[in-house]
Amino acid sequence: MSWYIMGAIFLVGIWGIMARHNMVKKVMALSIANSAIILLFVYQGSLSGETAPIQGGSGTMADPLPQALMLTAIVVGVCVMALALVLVYRLYLKFGTLDIREIERKAWKLDD
Amino acid sequence: MTKKTSILDLISRKLAPFMLLFGFYLLAYGHASPGGGFQGGVVISSGVILLVVAQGVDAAEKLFPFRALSKLEAAAFTAFLAAGFAGIALGMGFLGNPMTHVYASAVPRVGMALVLNLIIGIEVGSGISLICLRLFRGA
Amino acid sequence: MKVNRKRFLAAAEIALLVLTGFFLFKVLDVGHGVAPSPVRDYITENGSRETGALNLVTSIYLGYRAFDTLGETMVLMIAVTGVLFFLVDPGKEGKDDEENQHP
Repeated sequence: MSWYIMGAIFLVGIWGIMARHNMVKKVMALSIANSAIILLFVYQGSLSGETAPIQGGSGTMADPLPQALMLTAIVVGVCVMALALVLVYRLYLKFGTLDIREIERKAWKLDD
Repeated sequence: MTKKTSILDLISRKLAPFMLLFGFYLLAYGHASPGGGFQGGVVISSGVILLVVAQGVDAAEKLFPFRALSKLEAAAFTAFLAAGFAGIALGMGFLGNPMTHVYASAVPRVGMALVLNLIIGIEVGSGISLICLRLFRGA
Repeated sequence: MKVNRKRFLAAAEIALLVLTGFFLFKVLDVGHGVAPSPVRDYITENGSRETGALNLVTSIYLGYRAFDTLGETMVLMIAVTGVLFFLVDPGKEGKDDEENQHP
């Protein structure tokens, strides 16, 4: 069941990237898709044990490899989101709107 | 800044040092308990963000100057590279564990992980604090 | 023309979503249950002995994959540099920049 919920979250992110016209919402949708993938990996890792992957405890340990990989993914996702939001801010300063269609029209006019 | 209540003022003054301390705890014990460089750095920068939100950007920048944070970030990255080359100097390869030769095998060889955790934590903390200070100060 | 383009875009969005969902759920159907993993067994066995860290996640990202972590900090530093560079308002500060010549 959880697999399908995570797939649905990922599809929500993809839909947000495609269908929303507000660029801030596009960036947030990208973050949602990223979170779905992270959730998927951590859930898969947690299937093999109950306790945190620290030596010295009792019980079976969860898989540490997906957690380490997702640590990288989280940091890179934060970096991508910060940079994308700042680029959106610069576009807003230049064109005065967040709508991607308006910006496209104005950018073509600027080129002529 | 809008007017702040005395509750926010008091709580932020009392809470922010403990958040910074907890961040450094996560850095220093990341090799033996849940935590680590990235998590500790984010906790440290959340303490800075609490100061910025509650006390204003000027007060926070007096405590964490902008130029010092950016220099700290560059210094942390250089220190990471230096830690990598220390492995080469001792014949372990780039980013090898130089503590292997220093201690006997009876001692847990956490030195490299501890140093790298501290370096990464300082880098992440100063980096995210820089972004947020710059964002809060406005363009 | 305008309405046609809008309809085409909507149809393309729906088609892409359906295709993505189909392949995604096809893949997710395969992955149920715990897969046997030699990497997990090796790290559980030797991880803290070889790198010295009790936390196995730390022993991976600072021991076995330290080079990856170096690249990650590089990404973080470049992102911070980009944010600090792009946040300067070209209208207010830096009047003497070359790139602000045309309005």
